[in-house]
Amino acid sequence: MRFTQFTPYDLVLLAQGLGVTVGLFLLTSLIGLLAGTVLGVVRYYRVPGLTQAVTFVTELLKNSPVLVQLFLVFFGFPAFFHLNVGPVQAAVITLSANTAAFVYVIAVSAIESIGRDQVEAARVFGLSRWQVLRHVIAPQAAAFSIGPLTALLVNQLQVTSLISVIGVMDLAKIGATLNLRTLKPFIVWSVVGLLYYLAAKLVAGVGARIEHRLRAHSAFRGL
Amino acid sequence: MLNVENVRKTFGAVTVLDGVNLTVKPGEVVSVLGSSGSGKSTLIRCINGLERLDGGRITVDGFDVSRPKELAEARKRSGTVFQLFNLYPHMTALRNITLAPIEVLKRPKAEAEAEGRALLASVGLEDRADAYPAQLSGGQRQRVGICRALAMKPSYLLLDEVTSALDPEMTAEVLNILAKLAGNGTTMVFVTHEIEFARQISDRIVFLEKGVLLVDLPTRDFFAQDGGLAQPRVAQFLSKMRKD
Amino acid sequence: MRFDLSVLVPHLGFLASGAMLTAAVCGLALVGSVVLGMAVAIARTSSGGWARRAAYAYVDLFRNVPFIVQLFFFYYGLPEIGIYIDAFTTGVIALSIAGGAYASDAIRAGILAIDNGILEAAEVSGLSKRVTFTRIVLPIALRTSVRPLGSVLINMILTSSILSTITLNELTGQAKIVASDTFRPFEVYFVLLVVYAALTYLVSIGIALLHRRLNRDLMGQVS
Repeated sequence: MRFTQFTPYDLVLLAQGLGVTVGLFLLTSLIGLLAGTVLGVVRYYRVPGLTQAVTFVTELLKNSPVLVQLFLVFFGFPAFFHLNVGPVQAAVITLSANTAAFVYVIAVSAIESIGRDQVEAARVFGLSRWQVLRHVIAPQAAAFSIGPLTALLVNQLQVTSLISVIGVMDLAKIGATLNLRTLKPFIVWSVVGLLYYLAAKLVAGVGARIEHRLRAHSAFRGL
Repeated sequence: MLNVENVRKTFGAVTVLDGVNLTVKPGEVVSVLGSSGSGKSTLIRCINGLERLDGGRITVDGFDVSRPKELAEARKRSGTVFQLFNLYPHMTALRNITLAPIEVLKRPKAEAEAEGRALLASVGLEDRADAYPAQLSGGQRQRVGICRALAMKPSYLLLDEVTSALDPEMTAEVLNILAKLAGNGTTMVFVTHEIEFARQISDRIVFLEKGVLLVDLPTRDFFAQDGGLAQPRVAQFLSKMRKD
Repeated sequence: MRFDLSVLVPHLGFLASGAMLTAAVCGLALVGSVVLGMAVAIARTSSGGWARRAAYAYVDLFRNVPFIVQLFFFYYGLPEIGIYIDAFTTGVIALSIAGGAYASDAIRAGILAIDNGILEAAEVSGLSKRVTFTRIVLPIALRTSVRPLGSVLINMILTSSILSTITLNELTGQAKIVASDTFRPFEVYFVLLVVYAALTYLVSIGIALLHRRLNRDLMGQVS
């Protein structure tokens, strides 16, 4: 039997798809934020050779389509490394690495935005490199990078929709399924688009709130 | 005739022009002196319609600048030269000059360009017609600015501190041209800090102080002990400017 | 498995034809998005209330909904209302509309950055609003926004890979075919990733040169 009309159960499907999208977005953002920040800090310690390697890989990831990266991991890795990579695993690996690449660039410019004189002054007072990083650089870099990070995450939320192409049942994939079944593309894609739009607004709103707080905090301390 | 009648202009709570009266007859050169913030530039900006009047009336050959329908006619009769040149940065010197004649006066392109080149030649820039503003020195830019205003064949040339952004050498370049223009009968309203120069070329000098037109005298009388100098404000201003 | 690129050699011509299609789509969509971006930028800098709000809504919407959702909306939706167009045209339209939202931002910033004194000079010399806009405002704004518009183009090249999901065999679409023909997905997608990165790198060099050339007159130093 074939249902061609919308059913109440479709709402459950949409909710599930939204859940998968948001869940994978949160997970890969977290991994990406951590990995990107760690790489940025590694650069700060000036490990020979590593910086060049990281820069090269991040440039590749930033300047190639996420869809191709997904295909490389999902189709390429199993064939070449004889690994078993499922759609969700491929999605997590690709989105995390992609987010990490962009976070790395933001972290580097945030760290570099802090004047050398500040760092040198702190070093003169006998603070270790780590202490300087923790007490002088980190708070300022966080305030500096929250705006670009928010913009990045709003973008990465939309990028998650590409994982539908390799079969992850996210919001976009649910949309494709409903579209095929009901043949009502305008309604289906409008609803799916609206859900993505609201989610993006939510991410932007949270980012703006955090930024507001950090700014207020540092301004207060400045007095 | 250019007529400024009882003009008032305020910015918020600040009165910049307070009941200013001024008449400029064809062929006259009138210099407007006054310290910074006295309202000199605002007066120019009221005459060319860049600021709305809060009171009074300005007519250029009878066309009221406050009436939208007459403003275009009034503007055709005046040409403005700006302190910071305000040249179109993406156009050559020649294009800067010919744009308005072609677009507003609907002059044929070849004719407008020939006149533009003649104007450039008259200010010693015949070989810079195809240069962009960024490739010109400040003095050269202002000379192009003057040509741009003259290209519209205005009855009145409005000059708003045209040498304030220039170093002395370049100032001399520009003043020489203005002297030449004054000599061949161009009507000018000349807002300036160059007192000595104003004295040489002006028929009349008016003095603004805090938006009020304190003195309006023929040049000779303005600098006479029993004329403009009898006003303590004017004497103070002149002695201060000469010391600087 | 050995990393063997020689298996790709027989398919280079096939891939090149895909690259040509990518270039054609992006070239047309660039024109489309700049034209659209100009119109929207004009609306957004105009004093008309509803035009400004409509323009803002367009930019906000198309920046916050994933491209693949927009693409499916047009690809599956347009035939629904009796508009039958091929995948190529759909792709150009979708990319133009999405790119236009970003292009309008770039052009709007260029318009707002124009020195007010220049506009006053145009006004007092009697130039009409229309002439001032077409002869002075737009040419300056387009020159100064070459760089941000270049970023729009680079993003467009990366985004165009998504058109492979609506059966358009551009670079990524052709690569998918080669990957399944050769059973070498890793090599194929790895090379594809590098090709995209190289392509966008070349484009960014071209943009920098164009920016220098167009703004040489604007920025040239005073003698």
